[in-house]
Amino acid sequence: MGILTIMIFFIVVLGLIGYFLQVWSIRKILITSAEQRINRRDGNFERLPGISVLKPLKGLDDNLFDNLESMCNQDYPEYEIIFSLQDYNDPAFKVAEKIKEKYPEKKITLLVEKCCAGLNPKVNNLIPAYRIAKYDYILISDSNVMVSKNYLREIIRPFDDPGTGLVTNLIKGTGGYTLGSIFENLHLNSFVIGSVCFLDRFLKMPCVVGKSMLMKKKDIEAIGGLESVKDMLAEDYILGKKIYNLGKKVVLSNHIIKNVNNYWGLRQFLNRHTRWGKLRWHIGGIKYLSELLSNSVFLSIFPVIFSPSLITISFALFVCTLKVIGDIHIGRTIKTDMNMFLFLLAPIKDVLIGLTWFIPLLSNKVLWRGNRYIIMNDSQLIPCPEKGIFYYTYRFVNTIKTRFA
Amino acid sequence: MLLCDFHIHTKYSDGSVELRRTVDLFGQAGFDVISITDHVVNGDNTFGKLAHRFKFSVKKDNFNKYISEINREAERAWEKYGMLIIPGVEITKNYLSPDKSAHILIIDIKEFIPACWDYEKIFLEAKEQDALIIACHPHHTSDMTNRDTLFLWNNREKYARYIDAWEIANRDDVFNVISLKKYPYIANSDFHRARHIYSWKTLLDCEKNTESVKQCIRNNRGVAITLFRN
Repeated sequence: MGILTIMIFFIVVLGLIGYFLQVWSIRKILITSAEQRINRRDGNFERLPGISVLKPLKGLDDNLFDNLESMCNQDYPEYEIIFSLQDYNDPAFKVAEKIKEKYPEKKITLLVEKCCAGLNPKVNNLIPAYRIAKYDYILISDSNVMVSKNYLREIIRPFDDPGTGLVTNLIKGTGGYTLGSIFENLHLNSFVIGSVCFLDRFLKMPCVVGKSMLMKKKDIEAIGGLESVKDMLAEDYILGKKIYNLGKKVVLSNHIIKNVNNYWGLRQFLNRHTRWGKLRWHIGGIKYLSELLSNSVFLSIFPVIFSPSLITISFALFVCTLKVIGDIHIGRTIKTDMNMFLFLLAPIKDVLIGLTWFIPLLSNKVLWRGNRYIIMNDSQLIPCPEKGIFYYTYRFVNTIKTRFA
Repeated sequence: MLLCDFHIHTKYSDGSVELRRTVDLFGQAGFDVISITDHVVNGDNTFGKLAHRFKFSVKKDNFNKYISEINREAERAWEKYGMLIIPGVEITKNYLSPDKSAHILIIDIKEFIPACWDYEKIFLEAKEQDALIIACHPHHTSDMTNRDTLFLWNNREKYARYIDAWEIANRDDVFNVISLKKYPYIANSDFHRARHIYSWKTLLDCEKNTESVKQCIRNNRGVAITLFRN
């Protein structure tokens, strides 16, 4: 066994330790949170404040009707929902219209307004909705999340501390009828949730999940409004960072929200995680390397390829088994509805994710909702040039793709 | 305008999505009217026998179960999504030659109609049941995996009078011949897999109930087609 193999074994063991610290941090956060939940129902509020829920819509997400409906069924005294779209032809318009018809007693606004303030289409969608929001608390909630009835009550609670600036949530992937969506849910329920908890618990970093962000209007104004993140790909991370820099706390709420992924294709899964990888590479820089080092399954494959032996194969199988057991444990902790047998696919997913890890090192271009951008530091977006070598390469590849479609 | 799809298959025949999930898929996407139309295949040749053998066909034995499950789902869909579901079948007459093959949607079917009957008998029985008769993918299609079904188009002089509407578009294909002949038209997905939801659809300007929908298609006024994309 060569020195390189021993070094990889060592890195894999370190990666596994890191992974089990993630598992521990998930447990710790959820158990502590559950205790807090029992102690205080509505926090120290005399009267629960009104919340404006901004729902930016673009296209059909899996489970869209139920996702939007879950926001209408909140056990919360005063809130409004603003569904915001860029144009009437968006298929989500019809769904939002149906929800509005089904709940005539709810304060629902369906806002269709073309906004081209920046390059981030989600922020472009949010700016007109923010303008008409009437309450002091602004919740930005993505269209692909489904929440339980007590969601608003749970996330407002940390604001009984005047030092709180932003409350975000953990997400878990549910559903999954296709391989792509099963991989997506496995990844959300291990790497994503684990990393968020690890960063929050050990590194005390403000790690914001853009699918759910509750903030005060005056804090948003203080950081320059939503316009301040209009050209950022990771608008959620930057919002959190700016609020943190104001001296406010960024709180990871106890409440887990669902991200329903039913019919994702494999390509969709890979595209999303390549994009997210590029984003983390441009935000984290050298820290991005830790993601590769913590992917124990992927690293354990290398000794098998380059120095196949009973020891290296057994080691890889041992690592895969530990990873599957760890993922099942996380699944149980977060009460996922995934079939436990599907966790056996986790090592394959980890290998795919390991392969996509390298793409951000080679390319800084992203295709997001039909638009092509170049990512700069801190996830700043600039439009992809319409001339030059990049453009012609893109045109050339795209022409071939279209011909063979 | 009502967003409609009248050509949807489930696991009752060769679709890959179960009936309940299919209903949810269309409901979650905001559809107003859909028709579940699983295949009823002619069992009088090898193709048909294979389809029966591998359960790719609704048969007389399970027709009532099929209809009652659709009706149960229809209640749920109406309650939850405000979506109207109309039971139907796709009479599937498959032969070796595309010129002899034809697929016909019978929408709002009440009693089982065997696919091995001759065309005239099928049409008259469908009329008797006050069902809609739609000629499916009547011309050459781009789908390499499917055989063309040209019989009705080749014999349009004889059968057009029975047909309430022709599919002017099916999934990704558009049949301009229907337009040139000025026949009444609708557009459908021929849904077999979840991704087929993004395809040609019909828009109807009428009330959301079965009779109005049928009347609107028969009169072919207030009918438009749209390419439903994400």
